Amino acid sequence: MGVSIGKKWYALKVKLMMFLAVVGPGIIAANADNDAGGITTYSIVGAHFGTKMLWVLLLVTVSLAITQEMGVRIGVVTRQGLAGLIRENFGIKWTAFAMIAMLVANMGTVTAEFAGVASSFSIIGVNKYIAVPLAGLAVWFVLYKGSFKTTQKIFLIFSAFYIVYIINGFIIGPDFGQALEDMFTPTLQYSAPFLITMIALIGTTITPWGQFFIQSYVVDKGLEVKDYKAEKAEVYIGAFITDIVSFFIIICTATTLFKYGIRINDAGDAAIALEPLAGYLAKFLFAFGLFCASMLGAFILPTATAYALCEAFGWESGFNTTWKNGKIFYSIILAMIAIPAVIVLIPKISLVSIMVLSQDVNGILLPFILIFVMKIINNRRIMGEYTNKPVGNVIAWATIIGIIAATATLVFASFFGY
Amino acid sequence: MPYLSYLLDSKITDSSDEVIGRLQDILITPKEGEYVPLQYLVVKTNKDKELVYVPYEYVENLSREEVSLKRLFNKIPLRKDVESGFVYLKRDVLDQQIVDMSGARVVRVNDLRLGNFEGEMSVLGIDVSFKGLLRRLGLGWFDFLNFMKVNLIDWREAQPVHGSLKLDTISKNLNKLHPADLANILEDLSVRHGSKLVKSLDAKSAASVLEEIDPHLQKILVKHLGPDKSADILQHMSVDEIVDLMKMMPKEEARTFLAQLKNTKLKKIQNLIIYPNDTAGGLMIVEFVSVRPNWRVSKAIKEVRKMSETMRSIIYVYVTSDDGYFYGAVSMRWLLLSPKKKMVKDLLKRKFSSTSVLHPDQDIEEVIEVMTKYNLYTAAVVDKGNKLIGVVSIDDVMRHLFPDA
Repeated sequence: MGVSIGKKWYALKVKLMMFLAVVGPGIIAANADNDAGGITTYSIVGAHFGTKMLWVLLLVTVSLAITQEMGVRIGVVTRQGLAGLIRENFGIKWTAFAMIAMLVANMGTVTAEFAGVASSFSIIGVNKYIAVPLAGLAVWFVLYKGSFKTTQKIFLIFSAFYIVYIINGFIIGPDFGQALEDMFTPTLQYSAPFLITMIALIGTTITPWGQFFIQSYVVDKGLEVKDYKAEKAEVYIGAFITDIVSFFIIICTATTLFKYGIRINDAGDAAIALEPLAGYLAKFLFAFGLFCASMLGAFILPTATAYALCEAFGWESGFNTTWKNGKIFYSIILAMIAIPAVIVLIPKISLVSIMVLSQDVNGILLPFILIFVMKIINNRRIMGEYTNKPVGNVIAWATIIGIIAATATLVFASFFGY
Repeated sequence: MPYLSYLLDSKITDSSDEVIGRLQDILITPKEGEYVPLQYLVVKTNKDKELVYVPYEYVENLSREEVSLKRLFNKIPLRKDVESGFVYLKRDVLDQQIVDMSGARVVRVNDLRLGNFEGEMSVLGIDVSFKGLLRRLGLGWFDFLNFMKVNLIDWREAQPVHGSLKLDTISKNLNKLHPADLANILEDLSVRHGSKLVKSLDAKSAASVLEEIDPHLQKILVKHLGPDKSADILQHMSVDEIVDLMKMMPKEEARTFLAQLKNTKLKKIQNLIIYPNDTAGGLMIVEFVSVRPNWRVSKAIKEVRKMSETMRSIIYVYVTSDDGYFYGAVSMRWLLLSPKKKMVKDLLKRKFSSTSVLHPDQDIEEVIEVMTKYNLYTAAVVDKGNKLIGVVSIDDVMRHLFPDA
């Protein structure tokens, strides 16, 4: 065996680890938010509504920072996952309710990820009936063989591709003045498409799984109350960075697509937004970015879902358990890969619709999970002196009520056909 | 033989058949490895909507059909409050994690099975099955064909891990588990519960459990225990494990932990800590049995007996001079088969190959090459002056190659 190659590889690995040690849960969770569903939703927000929804993005950024910070705080204080806490404090029925909500939302998100894979391959001319099963197998294989963490990190690095949107944004020279104005002047349209897109925009940025993920991450890393300040800062930075990217995706599509009335019907249309930077390569660049983002989500979500369910119901979990003991754990992961893959393979199904509607499902279910978070974080018996301050409570409740109101309006609007 | 889930929130009647309230919780005083009788019912009264404690001796019937009391409600000496030390079955046990001693795993309590034991109503079993989940959800009818099995854990076999239960009374039982099983349990628990469990063990068992768990969790637990408490445990851990652990910590932190250790151990650690993890020096352990060439076999065996307690396994004894000059290794088997009077140096019959020893700076691939070539379960590591400084065992190599296994 080549000893020197081994050594070089090792040195490289060490350097990589050191770099990634700086990247904490806040940035990972926030970055993973820009997955297939995210990229598509933001593109559509810009392409179909211009910069009109930027005010929502601004509010959502604040809410994201606040809710993620609450997850971190609960994690360092209780040193327990959200699922376990819900079970121990709300009993079995509420747990079943919360878990079903999470399961449905996560299943939707994984479906969006596979739709992302299918879309990115369709751009380079590969059929989804080949791409999706292969991607599903790859995900299962990597998870089962255990190089999950490394793979996750690789895709995370690739997701840095979003920087191209920022560069692109400066090249096309969008109307920043208009963007800023829209950011601070709320406008609403009482039409189903507007509301659907708006709920998707919220649901893709703040997600039920993100709430479970950040807390588990903090617990697994063994972070303590003394790490809390640093973590809080990191979470805030993470929220800010993600939404800067979202901001640029929106203004890029607003300037390139909305202006000329081009609507997004498939991923290829969304790729047009990158043409000012990459010319005829835009399609490939977009396909690559979409693929990486999709795979990152496809790796994280099935496992995260299985861990949360097992934690809540007391089943054995982890990749070091045997098949016999970990039957349920492995079955959940398999189901979380197989069912979404099959849905995406339904002939003629609209991949773009999957990617956006799944984010709506996330958005609609989010308030329920957040209510559990609020009940826990304001419980003195659980949180001691670390309960919420009034500011946090106001913003979190405003988010919850805002989403519920938007959902109610959507139902109303679609029934009465505004 | 009712389940707790059937009883909770059911109506309670007194001897005049008047409904006086609903059952909120049941109190017991747990004892290690025993069934214990129910002591109080916690009742929310219909009249004042307040919580009262009804002593169990006034209960006439406790079943799925009815919960009734022996006397008129106002004739029962109720208590508004009880002293601490009781365990609330709903608040503290139901839905919490417990350690299933027989299966050596962590499970969640889906339901509790009550029943008569020696004439007293007691908690007999813990339901951890899917069927228990369905029953709790009110979906028990789902399994009307009785396909599913109820999986009950004997109450005496279970150890709650909830904070309100004292873990020190439990540790005796946990000590009976194999360290590897305990380590598995630890990995399933939250850090808070896990560190409590480690604290409840004696230092020696805690050390052997810590050696079995994943290094990352090891670090978290040791940090959570703090330098004082973990010093005792570290003292019992093997030097190479401590070294690996310290290498994962920031320098300053590692120093505070090391400061708590005894001098002899500290010296050994400092000698080891300079080698990178993937070299012979980083892999080796410094605990081994060394014998002198001019000893007789009987004395060498006596030495093995003496050292045995502190060693994980003994496959070879190492023949060295008083100041550590390395002559060769003798397998345990060879030592046992040889006549007691024979000299150790006569057992080193084959010509000793100088390439079958390792040097501390050789990397893992060279280590594997040497061990494979000479079929070694353990290989000696010598310094430049051919002094024996440590031993790499196949176990250490495997652990390095497959850290997650």
